Amino acid sequence: MSGYDFTFASSSERTEQEIARKSLTYWQDAWRRLKKNKLAMLGLGGVIFILLSAIFGPLFFSQSYSDQNLDFANIPPKLDIYRLSEDYFLILTRDYKLIEVTENGELLSRLKQINKDALNKVYTYSDGSNTVTLDFSYNLLPGKTADYDYTLSFNGSEEISQKHKRTRNKTYPFGTDVVGRSLLIRVIYGARISLTIAFMAALVNLFIGVIWGSIAAYEGGRTDNLMMRFVDLLNSIPLVIYVILIMVLVGNRGLWTLTLALGSVYWVVMARLVRGQVLSLKEQEFVLAAIALGVSRRKIIARHLIPNAIGPIIVTLTMLIPQAVFTEAFIAFIGLGASAPMASWGTLASDALSGLLSYPYQMFYPSIAIAVTMLSFNFLGDGLRDALDPRLRKG
Amino acid sequence: MKRYFFKRFLNSLLTILLIATVTFFMMRAIPGGPFTREKPVPEEIMKALNAKYNLDAPLIVQYFDYMKGLVTFNLGPSFSRVGVSVNDLIIQGFPQTAKVGFLAVLLIIILGVPTGIISALRQNRPIDYTVMFMATLGVAIPRFVLATLYVYIFAGILGWVPTFGLKTPIAYIGPVIALCGYSLSFTARLTRSSMLEVLRQDYIRTARANGLRSLSVIGKHAMKNALIPVVTYLGPTIAAIMTGSFIIERIFAIPGIGRYFVEGVANRDYTVIMGVTVLYASFYVFMVFIVDVLYAFIDPRIRFEGRSR
Repeated sequence: MSGYDFTFASSSERTEQEIARKSLTYWQDAWRRLKKNKLAMLGLGGVIFILLSAIFGPLFFSQSYSDQNLDFANIPPKLDIYRLSEDYFLILTRDYKLIEVTENGELLSRLKQINKDALNKVYTYSDGSNTVTLDFSYNLLPGKTADYDYTLSFNGSEEISQKHKRTRNKTYPFGTDVVGRSLLIRVIYGARISLTIAFMAALVNLFIGVIWGSIAAYEGGRTDNLMMRFVDLLNSIPLVIYVILIMVLVGNRGLWTLTLALGSVYWVVMARLVRGQVLSLKEQEFVLAAIALGVSRRKIIARHLIPNAIGPIIVTLTMLIPQAVFTEAFIAFIGLGASAPMASWGTLASDALSGLLSYPYQMFYPSIAIAVTMLSFNFLGDGLRDALDPRLRKG
Repeated sequence: MKRYFFKRFLNSLLTILLIATVTFFMMRAIPGGPFTREKPVPEEIMKALNAKYNLDAPLIVQYFDYMKGLVTFNLGPSFSRVGVSVNDLIIQGFPQTAKVGFLAVLLIIILGVPTGIISALRQNRPIDYTVMFMATLGVAIPRFVLATLYVYIFAGILGWVPTFGLKTPIAYIGPVIALCGYSLSFTARLTRSSMLEVLRQDYIRTARANGLRSLSVIGKHAMKNALIPVVTYLGPTIAAIMTGSFIIERIFAIPGIGRYFVEGVANRDYTVIMGVTVLYASFYVFMVFIVDVLYAFIDPRIRFEGRSR
């Protein structure tokens, strides 16, 4: 056989041999598929936004979550400004306080009430040099009907009944709560508390659940039976009630109590999932090979079994986090949340309940925060489920 | 089959007993009794109180007393309401809770399951997108947000419904919607996905190929299999609806069990907490048992085997 029997391959023959698709690792492939899913990317964006604002948000504000100013209690995020003279602007709160503001919506100071004529519904206020008279008798006393409810008069001058303009609250963008703490800062700090509890609880779940599930499945037999009976037992108990019982039992309402209460109960979901995964994985050849090579049981579980089940574990984890936020809010709502002045989103919402009809914005912002978090994690979790499932791998 | 049911039933009873035991000892493990106040209570009064509520007996005696009470459906006196027993509270509160809960469950079944099926049959059409959009929102928005939003808009701004209580039929709308919002959405999603899974299977194609009417294929052949996960979910959910009532009853000021429980938590009224916990847990365990029984009827594959381990 001489060298002439061989001929150079033509260019088309050469490309035929090339692999059509770039070879991708599991994670690259999952990321590629996740990127295609618009909702999942939206969820990922939301999660990143929430995390960033929880971590770095407080750095941008000089106020802290516990700074209170009783003069500025219950100030809404949108201000109705009355113009009393060229450069004198006021807002009237729902509990008949007058606060001097600038035209573009910064709060300056509260006027002192100097005379209170409750019978005729006329109050007088002063800031030292100027006096303002508020007449809110319209539509309340018989014989005084008008198409407005209040009039204000500045140093005895003509009564003003029309609002000058409506503007955003520049000092407190989300308004203030019942003792005059900035709601924006409290919602951001609430994110810290809520998310810390959620992440820690999810980690505790992950830790116990993965270890419990993988050991039960790998050992099998009586060990498995016993361990899973225990999980079944926990599973047949309404878990929220047990979280509440633990909270009542411990009494202390710190972060750690909440974390432990949530973490010690919800791991059963994870344990069941991991057990199911490991049960099917442990029959595969690579485990047999590892056993034949004399790898220890601990290493087989930690190095071979758990990494192979990581996809479903991550998906469950992303679903457990909003679940924990949800449960934490639930617990806060029945009065067992983080203690003051610390506040999670649930506590904020719960505190706002009593003033709901007068100050709806206090309920609105923490609720939006919870709903956005839930939606983001749900979208991301759904997307991850599709992206990490090797059976759905195609084209 | 009878033996399987019997075994499951015994198992459920055992679980309830265990729950009661754990709850009892958890409550007794709390430092300080239910009468501990910031201002120390005189010793004689403390003694008299403890004697009255049987708290001076040895723990094990108290335990057996409580268990004896439990078997005869006597949950003991309330610590914070003088002269009122936990039974009274439950008898007073349960009808309110049950009325709202029953309507919520009804809505979940008659609305959640059909919308799930319809959106599975019209996959990727506008109706499917609408249902799934609503369902995703419903899963993501917490109950109390839904409830407070409802109160604010319909009671506060529009004034169509009363802000609290259950005096008129229209007042039920809010609590029922808020209570079932999450589960309704979840049921719709679950029904849709399991229906889609079933519709892809060979026996459905065979049924269609045999010329069966579409209605009979879906109603008789697909439904039976598609509803198995839904039934599994619904059982515990029906019980969980009751726990959901804690906050709903607080927001709508409904004098149900949930409100007594929340008050009990606030007052550290241990017998009330225990009573309600045991009641809810038993209800939950009972619902899980019912699901197991239903399983056997819906799915012949698991009839004699017992639950696959």
